[in-house]
Amino acid sequence: MPAATATALSDEALMAQVQGGDLDQLTGLFERYHGPLFGFLARLANGDRDLAQDLTQNVFVRVLRYRASYQPGQPFRAWVYQMARHVWADHYQRQRPSADLEEVEKTAAHGRQAQAQRAAKDQNEALHEALALLPAAQREVLLLHRFQGFDYAEIGEQLGCTAGAARVKAHRALDALRKIYLS
Amino acid sequence: MPAAIHPSHLTDPACAELRLWLPELADGQPLPPEAAHLAAHLPTCPACQTELAELRQLFNDLDALPPELPPLAMRDNFQAMLEQEKAKLAAASPAGLTAARGGQALAPPLAQAVVAPKNSANQQWLRVAASVALVAVGAILGLLLRGGQSASPLAQLTPTEQPVQPSLSMKLAAARQQPATASQRLQLVSQAPAAIVEPNDPAVLTLIHTLDTDPNPNVRLAACEALFRLRSDPRVGPALVEALPLQTDPNVQITLIETLVTLREKRAVPGLEELAKKPDALPAVRLQAESGLGQLI
Repeated sequence: MPAATATALSDEALMAQVQGGDLDQLTGLFERYHGPLFGFLARLANGDRDLAQDLTQNVFVRVLRYRASYQPGQPFRAWVYQMARHVWADHYQRQRPSADLEEVEKTAAHGRQAQAQRAAKDQNEALHEALALLPAAQREVLLLHRFQGFDYAEIGEQLGCTAGAARVKAHRALDALRKIYLS
Repeated sequence: MPAAIHPSHLTDPACAELRLWLPELADGQPLPPEAAHLAAHLPTCPACQTELAELRQLFNDLDALPPELPPLAMRDNFQAMLEQEKAKLAAASPAGLTAARGGQALAPPLAQAVVAPKNSANQQWLRVAASVALVAVGAILGLLLRGGQSASPLAQLTPTEQPVQPSLSMKLAAARQQPATASQRLQLVSQAPAAIVEPNDPAVLTLIHTLDTDPNPNVRLAACEALFRLRSDPRVGPALVEALPLQTDPNVQITLIETLVTLREKRAVPGLEELAKKPDALPAVRLQAESGLGQLI
């Protein structure tokens, strides 16, 4: 199928064709999603672009490998972000150096350090640092909502909770970020 | 600032209730009907006002963060992965792949044995065709390279010889008549940056010509990315700017815009402005053009 025609098709129609064995149609989906997914993963990975590149590539490898698990009509965007979250979680589990409690302690210590250095850093750098200091689960919810444009109902589906619970999680993440960034 | 927030802010029921809606208020949304009564609390509570102001500042700063743009090399890696998967699929079930492309159910594994010899012969033929194409384009690149060492390469041609550039185009056009030549052109174009080491190498012009005229959008994409890698050549920037209005494929347009933005090519601004307003361009392309303008201006 010519690329011009492919770009006119919905994500779901393209994915159905990939699922049917026409793997070339994944190129159209790659063009639509590799940028946003890279941005999502790069921010999850605290700006590590090399890692984000590898993880984004892994997402598309998994889309191909697990294409049979895609349900026809299922929103592709939610499905591929779920895949990206799993890729990130797998990486995070392998790399995670410490338990939750230690992470909290580290966050507090780094928060003080960040506060001390705040004046010397430009705004973007300070905000990146504050984002990096959030616990990973909070950062993920925040990124999905504010950077990737998912609403609370969609985030709830991703996290396996209600829209209300997703909203509470997002608000807690915002509150934590506000305190780190503006304290 | 949190330090200035009065402790009652954390215990006052009205504060607690309103705090649940402060992010929405900071986003410019109205209070929902069930929380409308809390609107009266805000003007009377400095702590809630402070928190609201902080959230607004946080949202503004979050929105102002520059986007994380993917590196161009990602496309190469993706295409390589895709080709690998396609090869695996073809090797595992060549009949199945063919049938699936026709929208039918996958063929049973038994069919593999029947089709395998034909597929094998086809692959052999493709290998031969690929070798011929590689040799032909390699010869042309060689001609171009020799031309680059001459003060006036065209002057050396006899009247019966075609100029080098049309000759390459003819070869490429001829190659397009055979199966799988788009893949071969793709491969050759992708390999070009590694082969081009001389400054002002004439093969850069061939890549520019390929970006402007190749009928296959994937080949044009590869040419765009090859030219990005050859960005130190002074001809590349203007050529990419001039290529923008020539492209009609959205994937190529988006890649070209990303490349121009990455190269901080301000000469692309008029072309981007035109593309951002072009009614027949895809919304994604117009958005990319607008985003590119935002980063270049």
